[in-house]
Amino acid sequence: MSWMAIILTFALVDNVILSRLLGVYPAAASAGTMKAAAGIGGFMAVLMAGSAVAGWALDSLVLVPLGFTLLRTPVFVFMVVGLSAALRALCALFFPSLLPATGVSIPEIGVNTAGLGLVLIITRGEYSALESLVAGFAAGAGYFMVTAMMTAIRERLDVEPVPGALKGFPLQLITAGLMAYAFMAFDRAFLVRILGG
Amino acid sequence: MKVPSPSAAAPDATLLPVLFLGLCPAIAVTARVVDAVWMSAGVILVLALSGLAMSLLSGQGDSGPTVRWLRALVITALLTASLEAALVAFAPVASAALGIYAPLIAVNCLVLGVVSPGSLPASPPRSLLAGLARGAQFAVALVFIALIREALGAGTITLFRIGAFTGTIVITGIIERPARALGAAGGGLLCLGYLAGAFRAVAPRAGVKSSSPEKAE
Amino acid sequence: MPDRETRGGAAPLSLMPAPHLGVGMSTVRMTWLVSLSLLPAAAWGVFLFGSPALIVLAFSIGAAAAAELAATLPFGRFTLRDGSAVLTGCIVGLLMPPGVPAWVPAAASAFGILVVKQTFGGLGRNWMNPAMGGVVFALLSWPGLLSQWIAPRGGAGEAAALPPLEVLRAALSSSGSTGGTPLAILARAGYPFSDLDAQVLGWINAHLPAPLGTALQPGTFDVLAGHVAGGIGTVSAPLLMLGAWFLLSRGIVRWHLPVLYVGTFGVLTAVFGGLGTGQGLLAGGPGFHLLSGSIVLGAFFAAPDPVTSPLTDRGRCIFGIGLGGLTFFLRFFGSLGDGVAASIVLGNCAAPLLDRWTSRRIIGDAHGRAV
Repeated sequence: MSWMAIILTFALVDNVILSRLLGVYPAAASAGTMKAAAGIGGFMAVLMAGSAVAGWALDSLVLVPLGFTLLRTPVFVFMVVGLSAALRALCALFFPSLLPATGVSIPEIGVNTAGLGLVLIITRGEYSALESLVAGFAAGAGYFMVTAMMTAIRERLDVEPVPGALKGFPLQLITAGLMAYAFMAFDRAFLVRILGG
Repeated sequence: MKVPSPSAAAPDATLLPVLFLGLCPAIAVTARVVDAVWMSAGVILVLALSGLAMSLLSGQGDSGPTVRWLRALVITALLTASLEAALVAFAPVASAALGIYAPLIAVNCLVLGVVSPGSLPASPPRSLLAGLARGAQFAVALVFIALIREALGAGTITLFRIGAFTGTIVITGIIERPARALGAAGGGLLCLGYLAGAFRAVAPRAGVKSSSPEKAE
Repeated sequence: MPDRETRGGAAPLSLMPAPHLGVGMSTVRMTWLVSLSLLPAAAWGVFLFGSPALIVLAFSIGAAAAAELAATLPFGRFTLRDGSAVLTGCIVGLLMPPGVPAWVPAAASAFGILVVKQTFGGLGRNWMNPAMGGVVFALLSWPGLLSQWIAPRGGAGEAAALPPLEVLRAALSSSGSTGGTPLAILARAGYPFSDLDAQVLGWINAHLPAPLGTALQPGTFDVLAGHVAGGIGTVSAPLLMLGAWFLLSRGIVRWHLPVLYVGTFGVLTAVFGGLGTGQGLLAGGPGFHLLSGSIVLGAFFAAPDPVTSPLTDRGRCIFGIGLGGLTFFLRFFGSLGDGVAASIVLGNCAAPLLDRWTSRRIIGDAHGRAV
């Protein structure tokens, strides 16, 4: 895959949230301010890029040569958890107000779904180290963009009274669903044609 | 949105069971009923067995929440890996259909909250049952969504091949003109969103308490 | 819930991001006027395609109204009077091919009203354009059914039942590049333009001053006047522009969004439209592409929906440019219809974000300009 193809695929065509349905919860349920969106989006972007590369490294340098492919799942799970813990510690150190502002009090789980999911996608796709890094960043950028859009929509919705039962998380899911439909305009055929197929 | 806290005992209109948090990544496999069934089976198995394992292991003194959480992580990860291996060996078609979402069962089961540190189940049989129950709830929701998505979105209901039954029920009337948009990712999100809303609308009246997830650190 | 109808220009103070337009006309009246201004194009469509078109329109509007009633009556509200459901039904119907089974536009309208609009609380509270959301849903669900075209009355028979845009795309993708303007390619592909077209063009070309040395290509009249197959309300750009002119002159629609939308699309098409087909730069056919498909309807009637488009003029300008770009990319490289509905819903996703950026800057604008 060419660079452009990788970037467009991971950011738009197979967007992490809207196409692969990973990491929906942190994006939809964060505190609903743009600062929170920036926090969770940025965090996820870095996590995805990092775990993409780390996953590639672990897979191609350790697991496959040693034949331990069956251990992929536990190894990746721990890797992503460890990475996100490390990232959270770094955040607390350098940007102390960033993560608490996100208001997501179960950050690890949803975060890990997206991080783990991305690692699995990449390791099954046979990319090189650099390609994995680019893919991870692209996925993170896509995630960031969608989170920002959803939060801006949400800010607007929060001002309006909505039907009670649907308020909050269900409405965010429905919003995401409609956004997913919109993003289906970016499909494989589009990718092929625009890259000069 | 307020994330439900362990102290919220009263049914609150804004609460949603942690079930819906755990359903999010799984809706990707609800395009066909049979995939949802496989996913549910996997979740039930891992939830039940990890609940059991946690309860068996917790007898050794009271460890801190982090240790318990890590223990839970190890258990579910190993169980999921075994599950995956079994699927690849005995049901490769299912394994291929679930794709990357099979390994995600590991983190998903942590979300579903049975194995988190706060809820220390008392006895092994109890935790086994708790895991089964939570898994069953998950299964009902997941298969329900899959039924709607596949029936309306593809005009079929795909099940297992049993004997002469090919496994696919064709719904005449819809099969010629299925609403394919429902089979897409957006359809899954819409279905889950409406299901969550419906649950929230109905649950207080049915006296169902929204359970609160434990903070997993 | 309080009824949000406003009377005259005295809008109640509120924090709602609903349209706060000071045109001295109530929102309700404006909505009905938009529907009214679609009438010429709709009438032409019915004239051209006959009763199937009328049935499609009836079903799309009827379903929209029914869906609106179903969503509001049980809660004690009656909202049909605000005209928005009817407008949604109109736009959905006009975008449909006339030969489509009537339940498809009904489903599209119902989806738009129920899922895109009422789920979020009704008028003024949705973030996605209900008509466009419904059309995209239909495009994704039943793509084959949305290609059931009908030959126009007075056209060249059954062969004319395909819209020029579709024939152009088919010709370009099958034989690769053959060079020339879209109309030339169509002529080479044997697209049957009508006798009326031949007569009118023959007369004009015969009377063009000799020094000009150019002749209007066959098909110019057909495409310009909207005498071709296509969506019910989208074939006739002149009639749509008639309605659009009415809306613009009354201030119901501000010019920034539509003009920048079609302008950006036109420029991009002119410069880059030929690239994808191997004809090089500056060889695209902007005129043809502006007259084909639903861009005129989308730009002047759907995209400027005050509820789902940016609040400020600066935001609208950026939005228009963005939509123009998106429609260009999606029409030439995408596969979801002619790119207009898909662009608008994508734009709706980004509009609240756009509002944040443009509104921020306006507070404390260094030049003290009001926006």
